[in-house]
Amino acid sequence: MSRLTKLISLAALLVAPSMATAAEVNVVSWGGAYTESQKLGYGDPYQEMSGVQVNWIDYSGGLSEIKAQVESGAITWDIIDVYARDTIIGCDEGLFVEFDFDNDFPAGVNGMKASDDFFAPMPSDCAVGNILYSWNYAYNTDNINFDGNYPDSMEDFFNPDKYPGVRSIYSSAMSNLEFALVADGVPASEVYDYMEDNGIDRALDKLTDLCTNPKGGCIFWSAGAQPPEQLVSGEAIMATGWNGRHFNAIVNEGSPMKMVWDGQILDYEYFVLVKGGPNQEEAMKALQYFTSSEGLAGSAKHIAYAPFRISSLDVIMADEPWFYSEQAGAVEIMPHMPTAPANTENYVLMNPEWYADNNTEINDAWEAWKANL
Amino acid sequence: MTAEIRTSDGELLSVKLKKVERRRRTTAFLLAAPLLFFIVFAYVIPIFQMLGRSIDNAEMNSFLTETHEVMQTWDGSEMPGEDVTSTFYYELKTAVENKYHGKIATRLNYEKGGFTSLIKKTSRKLKNFDENANFLDQFIDVHKKWGDIEYWQALKRGTDAYHFRKYLTTFDYEQRFDGSIERIPEKLRINVTLWLRTIFVAVGVTFCCFILAYPISHLLSVLPTRYSNLLMICVLLPFWTSLLVRTSSWMVLLQKQGVLNDTLVSLGFVADESRLELMYNMTGTFIAMTQILLPFMVLPLYSVMKTISPSLMRAATSMGATPFHAFRKIYFPLTYAGISAGSILVFVLAIGYYITPALVGGAKGILISNRIAYHMQQSLDWSLATAMATVLLIAVLVVYWLYNKIVGIDNMRLG
Repeated sequence: MSRLTKLISLAALLVAPSMATAAEVNVVSWGGAYTESQKLGYGDPYQEMSGVQVNWIDYSGGLSEIKAQVESGAITWDIIDVYARDTIIGCDEGLFVEFDFDNDFPAGVNGMKASDDFFAPMPSDCAVGNILYSWNYAYNTDNINFDGNYPDSMEDFFNPDKYPGVRSIYSSAMSNLEFALVADGVPASEVYDYMEDNGIDRALDKLTDLCTNPKGGCIFWSAGAQPPEQLVSGEAIMATGWNGRHFNAIVNEGSPMKMVWDGQILDYEYFVLVKGGPNQEEAMKALQYFTSSEGLAGSAKHIAYAPFRISSLDVIMADEPWFYSEQAGAVEIMPHMPTAPANTENYVLMNPEWYADNNTEINDAWEAWKANL
Repeated sequence: MTAEIRTSDGELLSVKLKKVERRRRTTAFLLAAPLLFFIVFAYVIPIFQMLGRSIDNAEMNSFLTETHEVMQTWDGSEMPGEDVTSTFYYELKTAVENKYHGKIATRLNYEKGGFTSLIKKTSRKLKNFDENANFLDQFIDVHKKWGDIEYWQALKRGTDAYHFRKYLTTFDYEQRFDGSIERIPEKLRINVTLWLRTIFVAVGVTFCCFILAYPISHLLSVLPTRYSNLLMICVLLPFWTSLLVRTSSWMVLLQKQGVLNDTLVSLGFVADESRLELMYNMTGTFIAMTQILLPFMVLPLYSVMKTISPSLMRAATSMGATPFHAFRKIYFPLTYAGISAGSILVFVLAIGYYITPALVGGAKGILISNRIAYHMQQSLDWSLATAMATVLLIAVLVVYWLYNKIVGIDNMRLG
C-alpha cells in the first residue's frame, strides 16, 4: 500500500464516524429572545444528548414559505413553531404530519398521559403544544411623564387624551381587534361573541379614534423584538407585544419598562412537523424531547412563557427560582407567567377557530382599514 | 459574364464568404446562448407561469369537475336540485378521503367568506349522511349556511376552470352572480387607493431625484478628474451598500430620538417636546427612497453631461445670452437624453419598491407591491397576487411604450 492510499484510508476512517452523526433537524421559530430560550432550553440539551444537530431558523409567521417549499418539492424545514390558527389551516391543507397524540408523545413526569398532561386540547391533529404566552402592552416609565399616574387598564392604552403619544400595535388584525373591544367596554370573556355581531367594525372604529387622534397615532410592529426597541427609543410611548419579549427587555436589558396585564390575551403556541421534511424521523424524536416535561420547563428557564404541560410547572415550582440569566441572576419565574393569578384578573382567551374560519374577511377589513388610515 | 472568383482551395469565393459568415454567426450565438437560455428558463418562463396563475383555476375545477358540470344547467335563481347536491356530496366525500378538502375550503373561501368553516364542518359530518335521503336538507342540517343560495352560487363560480375575477378585485370591483360588475363596499376598498399612492410616490421620488441629481451630475462633469473621482465615489459608495443596511441607517437617522432630531434639538431649532415626525409617514418614504435611487439618476445624467462641450455654453454667452438663457436654450435641451433615461430608470424601480416604504413608511408606506407581497405571504391568495403583478407589469410596459413614443428609445443613454 502506498503512502498516499494509507493517508486516504486514514482520512476516510476519521471522516466516517462524523458523517454518521451528521443528522440535522431544522427548526423554524420567531427569532430573538424566544428562539434563544428554545435553543438554550431544549435545542442544545437535545443536541448534546443525541448528537443530532439542531439548526434554528427565524421567520415571522405565516404558512407561505412552507407552502412554497412543498409546492416546489424542495422542503428544508422539519419543525415549525406556529400560531394555533396556522396549525388548523396547514393541517387541513395536508402540509403537516397528523399525530397519534398519546402514542407519539411521552407521558409527563407526573405519570399523566400526554393528552391529559397538556393544558388544553390541541386545535388540530397536527399540533403539539409548546407554550402559553400573552399579548399585553407595556410602556416606558422614563420617557414619558405620567405624573406618577401610570396607565393600568386597556382603556388607558386607547385614551390618547389622558396619555398622549404614539402607540405601537401589531401589523395584523390579531390581538388589535380584541384589545379594541375590551377597551370599548366589552367583557373580556365575551369578545368573540361580539365579533360575529358587527364587532370587527366596532373594533376598527375604536382603533381609528386612537390612530387618527392628533395626540395619539399608531405605528405597526411585525417582529417580536420591535415593541421593546420602539419603547426604549421613544418611537412609541406604549406598545402591545408578547409578554416574554417585554420581560426580556426589563429583566435582561434593564429597560425602564412596565407591563400592563389588564385585558391581556392568553394564547397558545404550537409545534408542527412538516410532512416530507428532510429529516422527518429525526425531527419527530427531537420534537418528543422538546415537548417533554423537562424540555418545556427548560425554555421557561430563559423566558417568561408558561410551558404547555402541567407537569412542567411541577418541575419549575420544585426548583424556584427557576429563571436564570447572566444579567439578572436567578429570578422566581412563576409570578411573571401569563397564567399567574395576578396577571389573569381580566383576560381574553384567544379563539384560533374564529381566526381560521374568518381569516379572509378579517384580513380584508383590516388591510383596507390600515391602508385608508 | 464575369469570371467566377475562386479561393486558393478552389471553392467559390461567394460560397466561402457565406460559410465564414455563418460560422461567425454561430460562434456569436453560442457565446450569447448561455445568457439566452438562462433568461428564458430562469426569467421568462417562470414569469409566464406565474402570470398564468392569475386566471387559472384548473386545480379547483379538477377537484369538483362533475359538480361544476352539473351546475352548468343550474341558473342560480333558486336552490339547487338533488342532481347538484348529490354530485357535490360524492365529490366532497372523495376529497375528504384523499385529504384535499382543506384546499377546496381555502380556495372557496376566497370566493365567499365563511366557506372554510362550512366545508370543514360538513366534511366532519359527511359520514353521517344518509345516501338515500334528500341531500340538500342534510347539508342544511349540518350547517345553516347551505340554506343560503349565495354559497351555492359561489360554489358554481369557484369551480370555473379559469376566470378573470381577480383582475376586477385588483381595482376594487366584483362581479355579481348575475354578471353585473360593481364596486365593493367602501370599507373594503383598498387597491385603488394603493395604486394612486404608488404612482404618486414613484413620480414624486423621480422628481426629487431629478432635482438633487442634476446639480451633482453637472458638478461631476465639470470638476477636474481628481475631485470628480472623489465625488463619484461619494455617489457610488451607498450604491454598493446593501439596501437593507441603507434603509436601517435611515431609520437610525430619522427616528424621533434619532441622530437628526437630536442634532436639531441640541442646536435649538426644535423644542425637545416637538421633535419632528420624520419616519413612519410619507416624509420618511420620500427621503429614504430618494437617497437609495439617486445613483440611478446621477449616472445617466453624468454620462450625458460629460459629452457636452463647454465651448457651446461659452459660444452662447459670447453671442449675448445671459447664463440662465444659455442654460435654458443650450445646455438643458442637450441633457434630455440623460434626464429621460434617469427618470425612466428611477420611476420603474420606484413603482415596484416595497421593503423601504414598509420599513420607514408605517401605514402610509403601504404601496401596491406590499399588497402583492401580502397576498403571496400572508393571505396565500396567489392568483390575486399574480393578477396585481400582471397589472403592475403592464403599467411598466405602458410607461416604456409612452417613453418610446415621446422620446424614442434610441435616444436613451445610460453611459
